[in-house]
Amino acid sequence: MNHAHTVEGGTGRTLECSECAATLQIEQGHRTAICPYCRCPSVVERPAAPDRPNPTFVLPFTVTPDHVRDCVTQWTRRSRFFYRGLSKTTIHEIQGIYVPAYLYTAIVHANWAAEIGENYTVTETYTTTVNGKTVVRTRTRTETEWRSLDGEHSAYAADVVVTASRGLPNQELEAIEPFDLRALRRYSPALVSGWLAEEPSLPLATCVEQARQEAQAQEEKRLAAFMPGDKHRGLHYNMTVRDETIDPLLVPVWVLSVRPNLKQPAFRVLANGQTAEVWGPEKVSVWKVLAWIAAALAVIAAIIILARSA
Amino acid sequence: MSAATCGRCQTLLDEGDLRCSVCALIVPVALESAHKEKARILRCTECAAAVSYSVEAQAPRCGFCAAVMAVEQPVDPVEQAEWVLPFGVDREQARHSLVGWLKSLGWFRPSDLASGATIDSLHPLHWAGWIFDAQALVTWTADSDAGSGRSAWAPHSGSTRFSWNNIVVSASRGLEAKEVHRLAEGYNLQTARHPDQAPGSIIEGFDLQRSAARKTIVDAIERNAVAQLAAQGHIPGRKFRNVHVSVLLARLVTKRVALPAWVLAYRYRGGLFRAIVHGQDPKIAFGRAPVSWTKIMAVVIGGVALLALIALIIVLAAK
Repeated sequence: MNHAHTVEGGTGRTLECSECAATLQIEQGHRTAICPYCRCPSVVERPAAPDRPNPTFVLPFTVTPDHVRDCVTQWTRRSRFFYRGLSKTTIHEIQGIYVPAYLYTAIVHANWAAEIGENYTVTETYTTTVNGKTVVRTRTRTETEWRSLDGEHSAYAADVVVTASRGLPNQELEAIEPFDLRALRRYSPALVSGWLAEEPSLPLATCVEQARQEAQAQEEKRLAAFMPGDKHRGLHYNMTVRDETIDPLLVPVWVLSVRPNLKQPAFRVLANGQTAEVWGPEKVSVWKVLAWIAAALAVIAAIIILARSA
Repeated sequence: MSAATCGRCQTLLDEGDLRCSVCALIVPVALESAHKEKARILRCTECAAAVSYSVEAQAPRCGFCAAVMAVEQPVDPVEQAEWVLPFGVDREQARHSLVGWLKSLGWFRPSDLASGATIDSLHPLHWAGWIFDAQALVTWTADSDAGSGRSAWAPHSGSTRFSWNNIVVSASRGLEAKEVHRLAEGYNLQTARHPDQAPGSIIEGFDLQRSAARKTIVDAIERNAVAQLAAQGHIPGRKFRNVHVSVLLARLVTKRVALPAWVLAYRYRGGLFRAIVHGQDPKIAFGRAPVSWTKIMAVVIGGVALLALIALIIVLAAK
């Protein structure tokens, strides 16, 4: 195992390639580099810092770039009917990135209160006119009896993954989640060698806050499913978390540069490196939607005209 | 079995676990941290060329000689029995148990069932199961008839602490849930021994990976919690619906065990029936058995005749 030592101090981003001794420029925020002269992949090792911890885990890539291209092509075909800029897209570039993220766990406790609706049926009589005669009929009606209820709900918040990269907002990462955490492996440089691996660029406190919000969103869903009765309303709760842990990991994301045509700039499409789940900026085209509505109305009008003429 | 436990919920950890299977707390390891920044090239152990991670091989692979580097893989093995409970009932006792059970089945069975049945096959089997101990804070909501008003249901909520000891969860594909329920009561867990010490018996495979097994166990614990809430009177009332539980598990200890049972097939007048005799308690025997249609018809005809007689008496009395 060869190591190249830091040539410059400070941020220490210029290292020496241990294969050919060429100067290896490590981009700010990157954990890996490829020597431009001998093409040897290097993985940077450095002391951990509070906001830039070394990853504990890595989820390795499992889907190939060819499969991702197919999935993104299918996505553009599916989406082009309603979204703008997707009619004649070409995949310009594809890059696999190990995106820094945090894996958050906690014990979540919620004190909640809500109004619970229990249905019951009421049979009532009414009078109506049939063939000019007044007759008495019965019918059943469903009513709801509302009762106040409060209680507790305790659960583990597990499998909460939030981004630690400024380059990939959490909403975009959520859009391609979930990741299969059964494939989690302890971080090893061998698993990221030759790939672009980023360092965390968001402060830890920001990531913790994001993770708590995601845990709260999960708890909200769990609470909604936890309510008894036929329906509920006015659910409110007070959530506390304890025994929180947060561990850095690298998640596999395919980043594709998709270009609609030569006149328009390329935009970014993401795909999950384990499941090939695709996300892209879906900008609804008002003209396309109006055109589809107009086409639907035209078909309905044609059917009515044909029916009348027949 | 590893004796390490989770630092948060004290659940027993298995070999190779990176996180706790219950609360997802990571298993701490001493992380190596470089003293100063350096670039490292990973080299092929075959030809010393640089290696990079290959998505096709799902492992680091040398670009020159295509050798694949061995790296730590996720541990998710197919479950294996760690403990075997020995048979306490031998073949002859199993035969006697079957005969005793056939005699005890009541009047609606053929009179010569016990004497006319011939045993077609009698196999010793160790069926696969998990035995777990756990504690939990269970928060729950439910609808019940207690306190109901215009609607037949009223909502309730609560929380309680449960403790489970030696609860058997079946992993068997050969036994039905109700059969497992009856067998589970009679085992003496103090007799558990290592599989090497019980040669010669057929041990049923688990056919499940560890991750799927854990989900099965947690689902079983939730079902058990729902059943206990109703049975122990935690939910007021007599009728329940919409029982929702959130189980905050702790101290989960799971043992993978092989449990003994005799599986019998017996013939009676051309029909083949299955029965099971407990492997340690000969008093537990059950299965399928024929009914005597002659006796049932006799009772039905007798009943109809009796009703007709009563009707006749009433008619005659009215005249």
